[in-house]
Amino acid sequence: MDWLQLLVFPAIRALILIFVLLTGFAYLTWYERKLLARFQVRYGPNRAGKFGLLQPAADAVKAFFKEEIIPNHVDKPVYLLAPAMALVPALIIWAVIPIAKGTPAIADVNIGFLWILAVAGIESYGIILAGWGSNNNYSLLGALRSAAQMVSYELPLGLFLVSILILAGSFSLVELVEGFRPWWEWIWLWLAFPFFFICILAETNRSPFDLPETENELVAGFQTEYGGMKFALFFIAEYVNMISTSAIMATLFFGGWKGPFAEQYIWLGPIYLLIKVVILLFLFIWVRASIGRPRYDQLMKFCWQFMLPLGLVYVSISAVLAVFLK
Amino acid sequence: MPLDVSPIFRSYESQRTLNPPGIPGLAPLPSGETDDTRRICEQFGEDIVAAGLHHGNQVVQVDAGRLKALATFLRDDPELRYETLIDVTSLDKSQLPQNGDSRFQTVYQFRSYARNQHLTVVADCEAGDGDNGAMPHIDSLTGVFRGAEWPEREVYDLMGIRFDGHPDLRRILMPKNWHNHPLQKQAPLGGEEVPFTFTWDDPEFDTLGTQILPSVSVAPDLPPGMSRQNMVINMGPHHPSTHGVLRLVVELDGERIVSIDPDLGFLHSGFEKTGENKRYKDFVYYTDRMDYLSSMSNNLGYCLTIEHMLGLEIPERAQVIRVIMAEMQRIASHLFWLATHVLDVSGTGMSLLMYATRERERILDLFEMVCGARLTVSYIRIGGVWQDLPDAFISELKDFLKLMPGKISEYEAMLTEAPLWQERLTDVGHIRGADALAMGLTGPMLRGSGVDWDLRRDRPYCGYEAYEFEVPTSDRGDCYGRFSIRLEEMRQSVRILEQAVANLPSGLFKSNDRKVTAPPRAELDVSMEALIHHFKLMTEGFHVPPGFFYNGIESSKGELGFYVYSDGSAKPYRLHVHGPSFNNLYAIDHISRGEMLSDVVTNIGSIDIVLGEVDR
Repeated sequence: MDWLQLLVFPAIRALILIFVLLTGFAYLTWYERKLLARFQVRYGPNRAGKFGLLQPAADAVKAFFKEEIIPNHVDKPVYLLAPAMALVPALIIWAVIPIAKGTPAIADVNIGFLWILAVAGIESYGIILAGWGSNNNYSLLGALRSAAQMVSYELPLGLFLVSILILAGSFSLVELVEGFRPWWEWIWLWLAFPFFFICILAETNRSPFDLPETENELVAGFQTEYGGMKFALFFIAEYVNMISTSAIMATLFFGGWKGPFAEQYIWLGPIYLLIKVVILLFLFIWVRASIGRPRYDQLMKFCWQFMLPLGLVYVSISAVLAVFLK
Repeated sequence: MPLDVSPIFRSYESQRTLNPPGIPGLAPLPSGETDDTRRICEQFGEDIVAAGLHHGNQVVQVDAGRLKALATFLRDDPELRYETLIDVTSLDKSQLPQNGDSRFQTVYQFRSYARNQHLTVVADCEAGDGDNGAMPHIDSLTGVFRGAEWPEREVYDLMGIRFDGHPDLRRILMPKNWHNHPLQKQAPLGGEEVPFTFTWDDPEFDTLGTQILPSVSVAPDLPPGMSRQNMVINMGPHHPSTHGVLRLVVELDGERIVSIDPDLGFLHSGFEKTGENKRYKDFVYYTDRMDYLSSMSNNLGYCLTIEHMLGLEIPERAQVIRVIMAEMQRIASHLFWLATHVLDVSGTGMSLLMYATRERERILDLFEMVCGARLTVSYIRIGGVWQDLPDAFISELKDFLKLMPGKISEYEAMLTEAPLWQERLTDVGHIRGADALAMGLTGPMLRGSGVDWDLRRDRPYCGYEAYEFEVPTSDRGDCYGRFSIRLEEMRQSVRILEQAVANLPSGLFKSNDRKVTAPPRAELDVSMEALIHHFKLMTEGFHVPPGFFYNGIESSKGELGFYVYSDGSAKPYRLHVHGPSFNNLYAIDHISRGEMLSDVVTNIGSIDIVLGEVDR
């Protein structure tokens, strides 16, 4: 019985989770293309299926049937490892996110916060390896930017996470959502949300912080040499990352699965979480459609001269609040 | 084996047979004198071969040995102050009658912005001797005007004139293994062998995958015992933000730019050579393809040059229609510049790309209305315009003019007030006014560095003197200055358009001179004369009296000049196009050094190049 509990059930859960996330990814591309199109007075995909709903399927078929090309000049093992290294962290970060009352996606570990920080830390490896393994100047520059950017923005991100942790008093995300938060804590949290969101944009390499793949300077940055399914894996990684980080933001700042009657009817939890995630994803796309990209040095300056001090101040005040008001 | 006669050669287009007997092919000597030519003659005395006015331009022909001294004198003399060298071109006189001792001639266009003077300097090249190979040669002016570097390379490449003292005399437009200098008269048009084969035996493939174009390396300043290699990346010819097929060999130190060496010519189509083999009226269609984003301006620049040489009067209505078209084209071109500039700087997601193209679409619809074409319009023809404006045009244009200022404000709200945009453009691509003059930059590049000059206002053509508009300038000299200038130019263009629409006279839309413009179709049925004129024009074309003329207009990107040398036949003997993008692109190395890699795309966008015009 033990092995069933330990292996089979979590494996089935994980499979369902991966299936849901990949479907989510597919429709996120559709959602983004549609939304961007509406922002830009266009129609977006509208040929494959009703409202272009079959477009992701068509794209998937295309990616699957593309010829696998491995250029001669690449460092083969690293080159092939990189897409997997990019995708896996994006998926496994979900393990600790609660999706309904008392139900984490995979496991209720008591180090949920640390898990998020740790997985976010290895996310940049995929990109760095891709840039290194491709043996291409554009890729290398993209990877260098990516490494610098992700490492830098992880600091303020971590500081904000620590602040939430201090206030919540628990490492577990399940407890964080289910625990009671006074009104001032919510307001204090929401004050931090815009800055946290900026860090998340940088962490997921999304516009305006998509410097690792700036198509206008670096052609496609770290993924210049990738095509077909290997490119698709990077693509999936980016979008699953968006979903994952949106879920994390929903969990940390907006009560995760919580909503009217979610405590009584447990199946409402995932639906509320989904709605929150979709709204947060809208933010990602809205930002992409309306804000230009900073230059690499400006991005770093912003992180080290503004975000990091801000994060430190926020942590200190949070600590004071936690001591005196909780 | 190269053929002497192209397989597509058509005998009725032959240049010689069309020459009416008795007309000398050589341009007459300049006559009269002006203050400037008098001063030059006083200074140089015997070395000035001829000086005076020709077709209204000041022309000085100087002895080749004294050319450099003359250029220095023109620049430094407090009374002359010709600050900039607009254009360098050349002439192969081998097929002209009485062509003198020297076969090749170089032609320079000097401009004094402060005194609003234009001066053409002509110098016969010295024939090649042992030291210089067989090539004719002349002193390079790069030491006097920095901007002469690329035009002189172009002359070297296309005409085979060696410039003594040129720092970097390489081919610029043609492949480096090209076997002749195509603008020389004996070079055939068409039928030549192409020096690449697309098979693996081709020697070009020997270098596959290696850097064949070295960067202009600058040795890094390192303590002894250390060595370091800068990274060289090739931006282009296939690159998202080089606006066509431009290749930049960028040498990088980290992400800082050490040097940029643009590699041009991927889109070189030999328009000048083609022009020498087309009748005057047939070249209008080719001008569309040069700066394809402002084809109306190209049509206009060419037609104005030829009309001036013909001494043709253009009816009032045609003039106003031309102004309307040129200004609409300026707005369209600037809109597309804005769209791509934003795309380069801010990424593909940025919505402004589509907003700006949406407004440009309105202009293209209006173009379609008047001539059926949207991009390659060929609407402005020698003698006027192709057709009269359709009835609905003016009301549609008025609707557009009502809408446009609000849209420009919308762009400003999205960009000017966005701190990220400001940060990306401020202090990037900085160029001082003096450098801009020395490099021969024109248009917004020049005005962005504080030089108050606009050909529409200062050397008016097409009746621009009757319109009220301002010429925006900026002292910033950076990308942001150029950005704000172009936005303001769109507003001013709207202003000009409003005045033009309000004062559109009735009357002829093209000249009634039947020697130049074809009679209307209906006239052919009733008039023998008209039939003859029509036949003559469609087969032979019209003849332009011998002479040469350089004329520049203010296109959206800068000064678009046409230099035409006529030998009295129905085809130009020499046709040279001065594309503003070509000269402006020269500045890319200067303005990008020491900046970040991201700034290169900002700078390319800010220069506003169109590769069709750079490579011609």
